[in-house]
Amino acid sequence: MSEKDLRDELKAAPEPLLPIEKKLIGWSLGLGVVLLIALGLVNRLLPAP
Amino acid sequence: MSRSEIVAAAAPREGFVTEDGLAVAIGLAVFALALAAFAGRDWLGWVITTAVWTDPAKALAPLSKAYGALGGAGSLDATFVILLLALTAGAAALGRAAGRFAAAFSAVFVIAYASWFLGSWAHFAAVTPADQAKFGIGWSLKLTNEGGYIVALVVGLVIANFFPRFAGWLNEAIRPELYIKIAIVILGAFVAVTAAGKLTLASSLLLRGLAAIVEAYLIYWAVVYYVARRWFGFSREWAAPLASGISICGVAAAIATGGAIRARPQVPVLVSSLVVVFAVVEVLVLPWIAQTYLSHEPLVAAAWLGLAVKTDGAAVAAGGIAESLILAQNAAEGVKYQAGWILGVTATVKVFIDVFIGVWAFILAYIWTNYINPAPAERARVGEIWARLPKFILGFVATFAIGLALALTQAPPGLAKLTSAVGEANGFRVIFFLLTFFSIGVLSNFLALWREGLAKLAAVYLVALFGFVIWVGLMISWLFFAGVKPPLAS
Repeated sequence: MSEKDLRDELKAAPEPLLPIEKKLIGWSLGLGVVLLIALGLVNRLLPAP
Repeated sequence: MSRSEIVAAAAPREGFVTEDGLAVAIGLAVFALALAAFAGRDWLGWVITTAVWTDPAKALAPLSKAYGALGGAGSLDATFVILLLALTAGAAALGRAAGRFAAAFSAVFVIAYASWFLGSWAHFAAVTPADQAKFGIGWSLKLTNEGGYIVALVVGLVIANFFPRFAGWLNEAIRPELYIKIAIVILGAFVAVTAAGKLTLASSLLLRGLAAIVEAYLIYWAVVYYVARRWFGFSREWAAPLASGISICGVAAAIATGGAIRARPQVPVLVSSLVVVFAVVEVLVLPWIAQTYLSHEPLVAAAWLGLAVKTDGAAVAAGGIAESLILAQNAAEGVKYQAGWILGVTATVKVFIDVFIGVWAFILAYIWTNYINPAPAERARVGEIWARLPKFILGFVATFAIGLALALTQAPPGLAKLTSAVGEANGFRVIFFLLTFFSIGVLSNFLALWREGLAKLAAVYLVALFGFVIWVGLMISWLFFAGVKPPLAS
């Protein structure tokens, strides 16, 4: 990939987000936040020795 | 990881071993030779070590007094020759040009060790007023004796940015990923012996590290991918490796993701170049921030560096520097923590992150090959999880498991021998860290990156890393590690 190709490619018109991408982002973030809260609570209940 | 090294990692291998296989072989060999101590043999005590100095003639010495007759120069020569032979054979096995590697490695070793020597000068390394009084000096930069890593990094940066032709000549031996993988395999035994003394605390830290990583994957990746796609308008082919590179573990994750979504090989290669440059910035900044703001929460600092600093080399190296700085600061305040716990937590977090790269790559491959670019012939298979697992982790697990088993079953005399053996292996770990730091510096040609048109990619990295990844990593580390302290030194 030449430098010019790369610059052109990075300036290309954006691809719209597909529904599956939105689902991936949503599930990943949602699961992450829920697990964060759940594991954070478990962590509080089971303090380190 | 140099551009050629990244290309080699992304492409089919040329030699008869992989870089991971070589790292495991060398790391295990060092560990096995160290264990000869159990049979009353000292096979590694000749390795060079450098004390903090004011008189350079007294700085160098072999690690073990049994090899005292070698003297500092003899020990340095022996260390250089053995490493040269072992790594040149390894380079040949990787399919590289052995002669060119040997010449370049000789220069790399000399410059890197000279940097380490300079970093051990008392005016750089002495930390406490008592140390300064001992050396009879009035001032010190208080970088600790591991400040030599930073000297090596800075020297590498100077070479990369002001002497690019020389940097190009060194390129054959600039293999930070190989060096750090060897160091991590050796580190497994050191972490095991450290953990064996406080097994309950160590188990608790492992579980906390695991929880923190799951969070980092799920939250980091989604946000960075969204930012790259929506705010910066990147295509899917660029956004996915970029998100993995920024949010997970740099080079390995970018390459695994590129393969998983069937991106063109040059995409993860260019993303990886960016990752290495930003990792340098993080190593130069974050350990000091950790010392300034987190010295009373050493393990929060350790986990934070593991989550925030990308690439294995930079993260574990940052953990090593942070450990020195934080232990020194606490020691100056009268609190003496055991060494090894901060570095151990950083390395463990990083290794866990590496373990999950294969799983994440499989998830992305499944989505891409079934929904985004459906191609029945290329559908993702579960075997990809194993294929994309960084195999050097198995070496870390092996030395950790063997070290832990030995530490838990030995009577005090045997445990003393084990501690001494692991200490000698650790001497090599320090040298491989040093080679990693110097190599990372040599790779970081900021001007070249700009010229290649990567400014827009760099902008995503900048926004994501400093606007989000670092702070979320800090929050998660605080949530899971706050209040958990390393054991006090006896």
